[in-house]
Amino acid sequence: MSKRLVVYLLVLVMALSLSPAFSAVKNSAGKILPPDAAPLEYQVLRVMSQPATTLDWFISVYKRTNEANNYFGEPLVRLNKNFEIVPAAAKSWSVSKDGLTWTFYLDKNIKWTDGTPLTAEDFVFSFQLAADPKHGWDFAWFYSPIKNWDKAVRGEVPPSAIGVKQGKDPYTLVITTEYPAPYLPMMMLYSTPLSKKAYEKYGPYYNNDPKTSVSCGPYVLEEWTKDKQIVFRINKNYGGRVKPYLEKIIVTFGDPGTSAFKAYLAGEIDICGYSNSQIFTPADLEVIEKDPELSKQFHQGFGDFRTFYIGFDCYNPPFNDLRVRRAFAHAIDKEAIVNTIIKKQGIVAYGFLMPGFPGSNPEGLKNIITYNPELAKKLLAEAGYPDGKGFPTLDMWVRADLASPTVVAAANAIGAMLKKNLGIDVKITVKETKTFMDALNAHKLQFYLVSYGMDYLDQSNMLGIWVSTGRHAWKNDRFDKLVKEASALLDKKKRDEMFKEAEKILVEDVGGIFLWHQTPGALWKPYVKGKDLEPDKYGITALHWPGIEGVGTTIFSIYISKDVLKYRK
Amino acid sequence: MVGYIIRRILGLIIVILLASLITFFLMHAIPGGPFDELKMPLPAEVKAQILKKYGLDKPIWEQYLRYIWRALHGDFGVPFQSPTETVLSLIARVWPVTLQIGAITILLSFTIGILLGILSALRQNTWIDYLVTTLATLGTTVPNFVIAVWLMLIFSVTLRWIPTGGWGEPKHLILPVLAYFLAPTAVIARFVKVNFLEELRKDYVRTARAKGLPERTVIFKHVFRNALVPIITLLGPMVPDLATGSVFIEVTFRVPGLGKFFYTSAFNRDYPMIVAMILLIAVLWGITYLITDIVYALIDPRITFT
Repeated sequence: MSKRLVVYLLVLVMALSLSPAFSAVKNSAGKILPPDAAPLEYQVLRVMSQPATTLDWFISVYKRTNEANNYFGEPLVRLNKNFEIVPAAAKSWSVSKDGLTWTFYLDKNIKWTDGTPLTAEDFVFSFQLAADPKHGWDFAWFYSPIKNWDKAVRGEVPPSAIGVKQGKDPYTLVITTEYPAPYLPMMMLYSTPLSKKAYEKYGPYYNNDPKTSVSCGPYVLEEWTKDKQIVFRINKNYGGRVKPYLEKIIVTFGDPGTSAFKAYLAGEIDICGYSNSQIFTPADLEVIEKDPELSKQFHQGFGDFRTFYIGFDCYNPPFNDLRVRRAFAHAIDKEAIVNTIIKKQGIVAYGFLMPGFPGSNPEGLKNIITYNPELAKKLLAEAGYPDGKGFPTLDMWVRADLASPTVVAAANAIGAMLKKNLGIDVKITVKETKTFMDALNAHKLQFYLVSYGMDYLDQSNMLGIWVSTGRHAWKNDRFDKLVKEASALLDKKKRDEMFKEAEKILVEDVGGIFLWHQTPGALWKPYVKGKDLEPDKYGITALHWPGIEGVGTTIFSIYISKDVLKYRK
Repeated sequence: MVGYIIRRILGLIIVILLASLITFFLMHAIPGGPFDELKMPLPAEVKAQILKKYGLDKPIWEQYLRYIWRALHGDFGVPFQSPTETVLSLIARVWPVTLQIGAITILLSFTIGILLGILSALRQNTWIDYLVTTLATLGTTVPNFVIAVWLMLIFSVTLRWIPTGGWGEPKHLILPVLAYFLAPTAVIARFVKVNFLEELRKDYVRTARAKGLPERTVIFKHVFRNALVPIITLLGPMVPDLATGSVFIEVTFRVPGLGKFFYTSAFNRDYPMIVAMILLIAVLWGITYLITDIVYALIDPRITFT
């Protein structure tokens, strides 16, 4: 080899070593970290959650961690920051012409950590388990559109009869529905499967112990110390699409409402607050507002498109009279409540669907129920209660888990408005959550303040809870018909029109008084970066729903920048 | 004395049975159950299956009798909130955490409380006395969860010396113990001060001084012993109180102790845990009072066992 060639080669090697492709740091899963990323040992995200019993959706929905979950399996699809569904375990999917059969084509590169490939069998097993009444799954109402689902849940047909089957090969999953359900792929956000093999070998809690835990998702279980913390470690053999940057996610157990903000201020956690709920008290928000640094770290978004509303027992007097319900609706000054109490944590609601939610229609509904005390008085008098005379004293129940100081203040303001404008006495009672829900679901609640946040981005979900078989004691036949028919309609334009009409009926018939839409905030440290934490297509920077859950893409876009060196020791 | 103890133990068994009975029926009388329906009502069949799974489908009296029968055989069931272990193993896991904090708190509050009490009695109306009085007022009037938040804001958020919470390292003990210890220390300090002052004014002290005994001997040999005997009455109720933990302290400092489970069990309708913990408290209080009464009788010859 000539000397000149050697020199050329040396120069080439030096040039290449200086190029970004060669100097870049790769993490344990082989993903190149962004140029401003901190060294690998800093790629750890620390969050706080309520203690959990399980991490698996199909074991229990309510007994999981707050958001830091769904990392051990691949759902069929994921949601990005623009609320668009993107492929996950399913590379692609198609629907039959009649809209009843959905075929999902699975990614063959995804394998469980025990070496078994992820196949349709795991999905079929997981769905059948959830449909089995013996399993007693706490979200059993959710997959109702799937063929035979409701019958299986009621024990009328075996779980094997549900419309979730393997297709022509182990990598094809076929889901059939009772009626066309165009929102099915969106529902499949929640489909993170269990490993059939691990479940059969170790039982339902196989993911609670690193020795038996099996993952085909971006993370594996490194540690689960009961009542203390869970540590997720990057899955080096992950074959899916969302290779993460973070080497570890540490979930400290604590009561987020009591401890998270202080732990964040003390630099013990990196993200505080969730995408779907508000954990900051008015005092916390004051601290944030007064501190310029903290203000920059505070970001508010759509949350889970949650609407706070007043509900009634419309089956019995006095609220079975539309005039009474309308009188109440016209007597409440929502603008004043939002401007003086809710402030930045919400926007005035004119309907049930929050602006930004598919098919929302704030402009169309804005003028149906306006603040008009005179009209309110007149309506109440017409209903037989002039100046509130003869009207029973009301006890407004507020659900305890929603009863933040802000919400209680709003409830008191509503009570005061009803007294001032209608002469009706209202007592406010914060009612323990289970007691409240028991009464609500049994249609035994006379007058209450509660909220609802979406489960999937489709009108059929939010408006579906108002059909007469749902949790509210309100019935309107036209509404029921519209929602049921529109839910099954493939023609998007017609569908949207029908849902719009249904929501209008809900507002006009005062199924509820819609008060405000929650815009929850989350804090994250300046060194927590990632594409999904940058402005979305609406220009909003927020921790969008589903937050750091593994069914969204956000957590996998997050990395720790070099700025961390100024904060962490 | 043996007869007395046997009678007391038999009484305790009746109390425990009554406590379990009342708890069992009260907790079942509250609406809700070990299932969550935050969004939509569960299908009746699923709800029925959940109740069956936890043995809640039987009549309450039958559930109670089954529970007692199993408990007599050492089986207190499986906690709903931690289904991978038994109630006993959960208590065995979390109780030592609470006991550790409780023991350090008792030790510290008695040592410092007695010391402060004596100092303020001997230096009455000086700055030490005023300081002790101020501390005692603070300790008895400000609830420990408020103190907990103050401590957290000072030592964790502002100074960043100690973590806001957690468990596993010695530093995690500091704030819970500090938050806990102020109230009992204050009570002890005031109690010791009053007793000490009372004793100091008694005739035997005047006699001792008149005899020309050095002040040190008067204080430590005579007054000290007499003034401290009544403290046993304080120690008695403090032991079960601290041994079962505080809901506020444990939740605030994220301590995985027994106290926190009172809260989570009640909110999750974790029936097996609720009954087990009520029984534990009943036993602890019963035994502590029994021991206090015996010790009292042994110390004070005027008290007899009847």
